Amino acid sequence: MSARRRSGQDRPGFLHRSGFETALLAAPVLFLVAVSALPVLYTIAMSVQSVDMFDILSLHRPFVGLRNYIHLFHNPAAGRIALNTLLFTTCSVVAQVTIGFALAVFFQRRFPGAATIRGVFLAAWIMPGLVVGAIWKWMFAGDSGVVNAILAASGLIHAHPFWLSDPHLALPAVIIANIWLGVPFNMILLSVGLAAIPRDLYEAAAMDGAGSIRSFVSITLPMMRATIAAVVSLGIIFTLQQYDLISGLTEGGPANASNVAQYWSWQLSFQTYQIGQGSALAVLMLAVTALVASIYVSSTRREVVA
Amino acid sequence: MYRSTTASLAAGLVALALQSSPVRAEPVTLTFWTIDKPDQAQQSYVLAHEFETKNPDIRIAVKHVDFADISNDAIRAVATGSGPDLVSIDNPEVALFASHGAFVDLTPMIKASKIIDPARFFPGPLASVTWKGGIYALPRGSNTLALYLNDDAFRRAKLDPARPPATWAELRADAAKLTDPAANRYGLAFSAIADEEGTFQFLPWIQSAGGDWNKVNGAAGVSALTFWQGLIDDKLASRDTLVRAQTDSFQTFVAGNAAMAISGPWELSGPIAGARFAWSTALLPVAGPGAPHASALGEHTFGILHTSAHPAAAFRFLEYVYSQEGRDWNEFGMLPSIRNADPKNPAHPKAYATFIEEMRYARVRGPSPAWPSISKAIQSAYQGALTHQATPQQALDAGQSAIDSAREEASP
Repeated sequence: MSARRRSGQDRPGFLHRSGFETALLAAPVLFLVAVSALPVLYTIAMSVQSVDMFDILSLHRPFVGLRNYIHLFHNPAAGRIALNTLLFTTCSVVAQVTIGFALAVFFQRRFPGAATIRGVFLAAWIMPGLVVGAIWKWMFAGDSGVVNAILAASGLIHAHPFWLSDPHLALPAVIIANIWLGVPFNMILLSVGLAAIPRDLYEAAAMDGAGSIRSFVSITLPMMRATIAAVVSLGIIFTLQQYDLISGLTEGGPANASNVAQYWSWQLSFQTYQIGQGSALAVLMLAVTALVASIYVSSTRREVVA
Repeated sequence: MYRSTTASLAAGLVALALQSSPVRAEPVTLTFWTIDKPDQAQQSYVLAHEFETKNPDIRIAVKHVDFADISNDAIRAVATGSGPDLVSIDNPEVALFASHGAFVDLTPMIKASKIIDPARFFPGPLASVTWKGGIYALPRGSNTLALYLNDDAFRRAKLDPARPPATWAELRADAAKLTDPAANRYGLAFSAIADEEGTFQFLPWIQSAGGDWNKVNGAAGVSALTFWQGLIDDKLASRDTLVRAQTDSFQTFVAGNAAMAISGPWELSGPIAGARFAWSTALLPVAGPGAPHASALGEHTFGILHTSAHPAAAFRFLEYVYSQEGRDWNEFGMLPSIRNADPKNPAHPKAYATFIEEMRYARVRGPSPAWPSISKAIQSAYQGALTHQATPQQALDAGQSAIDSAREEASP
């Protein structure tokens, strides 16, 4: 390590490098600035301006300070939507990772058809959110949905719960659909992590008399720490950008019962053209996402060092 | 050999072009964004094609844009100066475009026009394209709401479908008799979804009771919302009314799971064919004996963006659309926006009679440049009360204050 560092000091500094090397570096930097940094800065700028959709190109707009943010917090729906976003993200990610992990461990066992069945699970993940939303909307229909039919046939319920139009059930229904949608992705990422654990660790543990639970707690979990951190971080980010499923299922209704920040931001910007407030909400979400992303990056960095 | 052929061909073409240029002007190409789809012989494409044949000096490049995107795309196009000449905009959003100077004021061209007579428009469609005294777009056709009845279900419930419910009280009484949980059938299907379709369905109720979009929290609004709440609380309509779009609700009527439905003429070109029962249509019931009729006014309008380089040519196309309004019902699944443009042999003649009468009562949503925010406030109000998170009065009071501040913001 120290030897490499010393040799690094002998290299020419950034300014002394060849034009070719600089160009190689400049290309991705320019690309990132153009497709990521500029839109983010533009959104931040719009969040402190009074934005009229009709002069979206002009940067010379009235500066309103934090008024968009204040309007956002004073909106009667804000508290509900914040809580919904927290519940939607937490429940989705916890369930997706838990179920995904269980399935990954299950398919790690060698049995006929394991690989094929695991592949079939991916079918959920390749479906567009809007389609998933439309299908779950049929399944959750209160009068004629298959979910209620199954629950009634198995004697679990007598009344028909209206999953999508009962304000107490709409958010759980959206979360259930989102869990279903996200489990395969979690399973695949965690399977990759599991496959990287050397088999001989388990063999050694077995020889020392460790049972399967002991092996899981003492080998699998510690070895998977970095992978789980990555999967959880990605899961939070993906869940925070889950828009089309909500659009297909409930449109955030009834009465904002299943509305979440990302859908509300879209409604503000593109349904009611309150782009300043929509941008303010996007900036707040960006802050949360950046925090999660930094945890993700630091967890992967630790993985490299390890 | 090849080269010389090409050269002589090119020379010939140039000669031909030079010869013909004094005779005919360079053809103008108009770009036209529409929600119609090219593969279904829909109005925009049919009329654009016919117009081109009749006017060889004008070409129309028609482009499909999704219903949900067209306003956004058009606004962005105005902002960047890359917009089409003609664009199809939902009628409650005309005021937004007009107030921002995005649409050409058609009033002078209409005054000079030998084809368009604004006095012939039904009051609703005319109001929907009027902003501060000017006319900024032209309806491409119209739609409105009516009550659909399952005649067989009426007879089975010992009701006479020839005497449809005329007031809210009669509607409720009939719906109660028609509701049969054992047969999985509700009395009425409508839409109270949290988007523009729900606002579209809700406003006629307020209006018949004497209120309107700009005054929702008075006695009229409260009685309308209380009536809706009762229909759902008493299971005369499905609770899923809150998440069903109009076509979804109408499907339950077609499937026999609702004995009445409130929807528009678009159901006649397709969905109604699935009904295995006799059906009829009736005017929307009114608040009480002697209360005014009211219905919703829907459909897109065609406007000319101010960035267009060829407004005169674009206006000629609008004149052609106007002149073909009589074909709206039979060919394009819409109602004419002008009086006395009835087709000779209307499809579903009885339904046509209902809908064309309803057109006299069809009212514009707004007009207000803040319409999207106002509509959202109305949606929050009825959904809040229907889910019992607030009483109708509380929900509508909150809605009213949101409407007032949206209107204030929109008028600087």
